Amino acid sequence: MEWKRSFGLLTSILSFFASLALIFLNFIGPLLFSLQFYELIIKVAVFPGLMYISIFAILIIWFERKFLARVHLRIGPLHVGPMMGILQPIADFLKLMGKEIIVPDKAHKIVYNLAPIAVVAVSCSSIAFMPFGWVAPGKNWVIYETPYNLLIILILFTLHPLIIIAAGWGSNNKYSFIGAMRAAFQLLAYEVPMVFCIAGVAMMAGSLDLVRIVESQSKIWFGVVEPLGLIVFFISMMAELIRRPFDIPVAEQEIVFGYPTEYSGVQFMCFMMAEYVNLCVASLLLAGLFLGGWLGPAFLPPIIWFIIKSLIVCLFVIMGRATWPRLRMDQLLRVGWSLLIPLAILQIVIVLLLLLIFPTFPMWLGFRG
Amino acid sequence: MQVSWGPQHPASGHLRFILDVDGDSVLNLEPDVGYTHRGIEKLTENRTYLQNIPVVERINSYCDATNTVLGYIEVVEELLECEVPERARFIRVIMAEMNRIASHLYWLCLMSISVGFETMLMWTMNERELFLDLFEMITGARITYSALRPGGVRYDIPHGFEEVATKYLNHFERRLKDYYKMIFENSTFRLRTIGVGSISSSDAIKLGLVGPCLRASGVATDVRKDEPYEVYQNFDFNIPVEKAGDAYARSLIRFHEMEESVSIIRQALRSIPEGPIRKRVPLVVPKGEAYSRVEAARGELGYYLVANGTDKPYRLKVSTPSFRNMAALPYITRNVTIADIPAIYMSLDLIPLDIDR
Repeated sequence: MEWKRSFGLLTSILSFFASLALIFLNFIGPLLFSLQFYELIIKVAVFPGLMYISIFAILIIWFERKFLARVHLRIGPLHVGPMMGILQPIADFLKLMGKEIIVPDKAHKIVYNLAPIAVVAVSCSSIAFMPFGWVAPGKNWVIYETPYNLLIILILFTLHPLIIIAAGWGSNNKYSFIGAMRAAFQLLAYEVPMVFCIAGVAMMAGSLDLVRIVESQSKIWFGVVEPLGLIVFFISMMAELIRRPFDIPVAEQEIVFGYPTEYSGVQFMCFMMAEYVNLCVASLLLAGLFLGGWLGPAFLPPIIWFIIKSLIVCLFVIMGRATWPRLRMDQLLRVGWSLLIPLAILQIVIVLLLLLIFPTFPMWLGFRG
Repeated sequence: MQVSWGPQHPASGHLRFILDVDGDSVLNLEPDVGYTHRGIEKLTENRTYLQNIPVVERINSYCDATNTVLGYIEVVEELLECEVPERARFIRVIMAEMNRIASHLYWLCLMSISVGFETMLMWTMNERELFLDLFEMITGARITYSALRPGGVRYDIPHGFEEVATKYLNHFERRLKDYYKMIFENSTFRLRTIGVGSISSSDAIKLGLVGPCLRASGVATDVRKDEPYEVYQNFDFNIPVEKAGDAYARSLIRFHEMEESVSIIRQALRSIPEGPIRKRVPLVVPKGEAYSRVEAARGELGYYLVANGTDKPYRLKVSTPSFRNMAALPYITRNVTIADIPAIYMSLDLIPLDIDR
């Protein structure tokens, strides 16, 4: 009887492995041999996923430091790397990696430790919905294809301040909390005009799909047709990215460093990374909405045109830090509610009147096929 | 909620403010001084008059060393009743005005960073280098010179100083025009400073403000004009006065003072006489009491000296301008936002070293 029992055991183990192999061959196996799987892996890991945003963040930090140094009559990073200190941000990241993670005694441990992960996850996931132009006829280079990409990116942008508020509250520090509250107020100032500007563009293009919006600009850019919308969107984008004239939540001279005051090491790096990934996505968004996206002369591939346009937008964002002092919270709110929103509404009214008086006008400019 | 703003804070210096805040608005501000107290008044009682010069210089060493020492030298010379060579007096004025410019440049750097303007921080530090280089030519030191002595100065101005100084001053005047465009015509800086921390002229007199802060409120007083010391009566210069008394007016006063200082240095270099630079004076100061005041970069700096006929002071009391200007701080920071605190604090040009002594 002994051998029968062990035989039964053996068959059951064998059948278990056989069924595993069947599952593998039936479901995962085809995945491994399909082109789509590897395409997705490349999209997520290389471009426009993790590798692209990391390299973008590192290069843009280096460029920002070098550019500001030129304006300040300084030299800037010089020694790390083969040329002009180009590896300085990597050295800084490595230094931050090696630092101790300090959790304040009175902090809310769960919120405090979750916030940096959440903030970097939310920022990085918004790149998944950003279309990067045609790679083949009828095939768009995007991680997750959906006609609601513009709305999803906007929602992810709006989530960012909420995580900031959680981080500031969880730190249990007065400066962090004031910074978080300022971020909440800032959200009120820039979110409404930003959405209004996008509405103006969507009305012109007749779609909320970023691919359709970019395609509509084959004859003329929306930035030329709607200059008010472009300016208002750029200003609210600066406020959304917490850049210099509007870096009120992290005002160093007033509230030490605002919401990330208590964070150190990798956790602080997460906040910095999220900030620069947001810059990447927002500049791409502005280029797509107003500057014709990936459309350009044919000697360069569409993806390259898109990146070049986004880098030009980044340059203008960085210039703000060199030329303006910081605004006060009440001044930003006044600018937002009494200047940006009326201008954005005026833009919408102009678009509406144009559409009412000349119904054929979008077709004539090539906005609707 | 009570916020402790300092002493370890990016913008507070070695000063601590206890802020009672309601949301983002400040209800009350209480300065908590003393983090840089070194007991300089007591230290001077155990050292000779000559040894006291570097000690007194440390009251405000990194901004305004010459003017700080000049007041001490004045009060000692008043008791000694000694003659000072004319050339030494001119060198003192040149050094004092150069130090006023260096101090105002240092202030402009702090003022611009207090509203978050990094570009001006770097630019002003760049031009401050020029004046530190000139000081290096005269004394060999860049920050703490200890170059003034009772009865004269320690170093004569070297050969070729006038050419270098003229070249630097020409460059500096061109840069001042850039500064005006960059910061005083900057709409955001105007938004942040106009109407912030206003003091009326009657309040300024009641609070006992001195120097540029008082002149920004419309009171035209300057020790250099009212009671000319050294050779200031020889020079033709204006006292800039503003009416508004806010942070912008205080900034503008200091900016125009830099222009006036450049003009004084030019006049002094043109009319400096030949002759000795130092006269021998006794080490023992006769018994008596004396008070002197000079116009330092931050305002009127007073020294009260009680001498008991030995080579050491019996008591030296210093009335520093930063301490007197700090009296206005709790008064003008009621019901402002937290964002205005650094702008108001820096516009008064308070140096904790100067306050604590």
